[in-house]
Amino acid sequence: MVTNSITRRDFMRTTAAAGAGLLLAGGTRALAQIDPAPGKKLNVALVGFGAQGRVLLESLLIIEGIQLVAVVDIWDYARTYAEKYLKKMGVEVRTYENYEDLLAGEKDLQAVVVACPDFWHAPVTNACLNAGVNVYCEKMMSNTIEGARSMVQTMRSTGKLLQIGHQRRSNPRYLFALSRLLHEAKICGRLTAAQAQWNRAVAEDFGWPKKAVIPPGTLAKYGYKDMHQFRNWRWFKGLGGGPLSDLGAHQIDIFNWWFGISPRSVMASGGVDYYKTHEWYDNAMVIYEYPFPDGVARAFYQVQTTTSAGGGYFEMFMGDEGSLKMSEDPKLSAIYREARAPSWDALISKNYIRAQAAPYAPAADTKVDVRETAQLAAFDIPVSFNKKPHQPHLENFFNAIRGKAKLNCPADEAFRSEYVIHKANEAIAAGRRIDISASEVEA
Amino acid sequence: MDPARPNERPPMIHVHNHYAMATTFQVRIAGEEATYAAQAARALFDEVDRLENLLSRFRASSDISAIARLAPGETLRIGEDTCACLAIAREMETATEGAFSITAAARQTQPEPPRWTLDAARRTIHCETGALEFDLGAIGKGFALDRMAVELAEWECPAFLLIAGGSSILAGDPPPDLPGWSVGLGDEGSEPRHWLKQGSLSGSGIAVKGRHILDPRTGAPAKLRDRAWAGAPSAAVSDALSTAFMVLPEPDIVRLMTGRAEWQACLQDAGQWRVIGPAPAAIQ
Repeated sequence: MVTNSITRRDFMRTTAAAGAGLLLAGGTRALAQIDPAPGKKLNVALVGFGAQGRVLLESLLIIEGIQLVAVVDIWDYARTYAEKYLKKMGVEVRTYENYEDLLAGEKDLQAVVVACPDFWHAPVTNACLNAGVNVYCEKMMSNTIEGARSMVQTMRSTGKLLQIGHQRRSNPRYLFALSRLLHEAKICGRLTAAQAQWNRAVAEDFGWPKKAVIPPGTLAKYGYKDMHQFRNWRWFKGLGGGPLSDLGAHQIDIFNWWFGISPRSVMASGGVDYYKTHEWYDNAMVIYEYPFPDGVARAFYQVQTTTSAGGGYFEMFMGDEGSLKMSEDPKLSAIYREARAPSWDALISKNYIRAQAAPYAPAADTKVDVRETAQLAAFDIPVSFNKKPHQPHLENFFNAIRGKAKLNCPADEAFRSEYVIHKANEAIAAGRRIDISASEVEA
Repeated sequence: MDPARPNERPPMIHVHNHYAMATTFQVRIAGEEATYAAQAARALFDEVDRLENLLSRFRASSDISAIARLAPGETLRIGEDTCACLAIAREMETATEGAFSITAAARQTQPEPPRWTLDAARRTIHCETGALEFDLGAIGKGFALDRMAVELAEWECPAFLLIAGGSSILAGDPPPDLPGWSVGLGDEGSEPRHWLKQGSLSGSGIAVKGRHILDPRTGAPAKLRDRAWAGAPSAAVSDALSTAFMVLPEPDIVRLMTGRAEWQACLQDAGQWRVIGPAPAAIQ
């Protein structure tokens, strides 16, 4: 996308280079496949048509070269909604109650997008991979470490592609910032800390229209005690992982991705202090220690679901020469320069950063002008993109199926992040610091 | 309840508030169990948040922001909600002969209104000229109210009143034992009161933001009157109409409303009130 200070061609070249650099650095990226049928549209099914399924659908409907052929959901209300909505969009799909019926009924599927509740991710993903279908699975990979590990193992044994939905890994702004600013320009200097957060205001539990009740037998068949648990599965142990896995998963993954290593320990505090009908923690505060050769960098993460205060959702990397605050929302992103840092003029000239306002730079001679206190220098990332937040990550997945890309977040890479997210919940329960070895984060 | 005393709220009305689209949305549901009404309200607020992500020009990943970044000659696929909202906007631009337009603000930075075409069947928008800097401020909230009502129908809560920032309201059935929802035109507690049911009412004016409404045909601030209200079955339509009525001379309003029995206009100039058009069934 064109921005004020970077041309479309420059941007394409820059982000492509950023992506390529990351691919080389990643090392263990899943190998691209050979396009099985050049020019043919990929047949895609969506498993799970809840809130996240609807978000992904909006991207699936505008990505070129794919055909949504089926939607799966155990809730007939959701299936009917999907059919009606897609008909308005001019898309005819077949609907199924579960993934087994899907795989029995659809014999020409190239990809399945999994957006059902976390505790179904591993069974659905493993079955699809074993049926020879590539899978894009929403994070968390699973509600258990064992489930996530099984998905990596199935990916390896089948040779099919398994992309995990940490969509920031394909976000051009994130790719640019990591490759050009953090790695190439070392804009933060030596990284000493990171901080991320995502807070949400109190909300009523999800309900359901009276006419849309699922029979108890069906609920039990799919692992739910009742409709309340079905609609609010994220809050229940055995089904989801609470706010740390719902919101924290995205951002703790950025800690691992941008630091380039896994933490050696985690300590955390949290509790079920507010809601009376939930099992997972309302609020959580987590500290990871990332061991670098020149010293430890600590990363603090907070997710509160009893207040939305705190300035929105972002990940901030802090060093001795600058801080880089990233968010999916560009308005929440900024770069701050430490007074001791070398000049950033060259970075401005190269369109790597853009000054929000002329920085205060008094002349170093005998004169001085006195006026209002100058603002601290702040800079923008001059990159934007004209797509929905999940679209580039889905496109990366489909391009990988066609043999035109490598996955930006294959399951084995995602496992390293998701392992330490599970450990944060474990640290809260244990009430103590938990050490994490380099070997245990490997699937 | 006496409509002259609107503050006497019947006991079975459940009220829930939510911040979205730079204002406060309120849902009032009558005649339902409290928890059920609260969960229905949450579903409606989720719908508003979803629409804001698509329609806000202040959200970088919204459809409206993506459309604003189109260069002349480019085409973009958009979602059903955005397409439906833009279709209504285009329809109302035609119906008001340009007195309402979502490119009114763009006239301040562009010499000519940007031109665009919408392909509703393919869900695409094409930028012909200029930059499509749409501002849905005068229609987006009403569109959200309409979509909230669709969602509420799924919950089978017929007696409701939906409010967006006080300037647009959409009523379903009245509360039990009442002929409608008590509505006044103007400031809190204004007289006379009216009963509203199964319809929408929107207001525009200078009381809060000054003369912020721009005439899309000239790009200049609207100066004809102080306040205008519009009634219509749809909140998106009444939202667009009340804005248009701020810039249209009265004879033009009368002419445009000919044959539009479902529309109503109320104008206020220097303290003088005039109602134009037949009072629709929604407002008694």
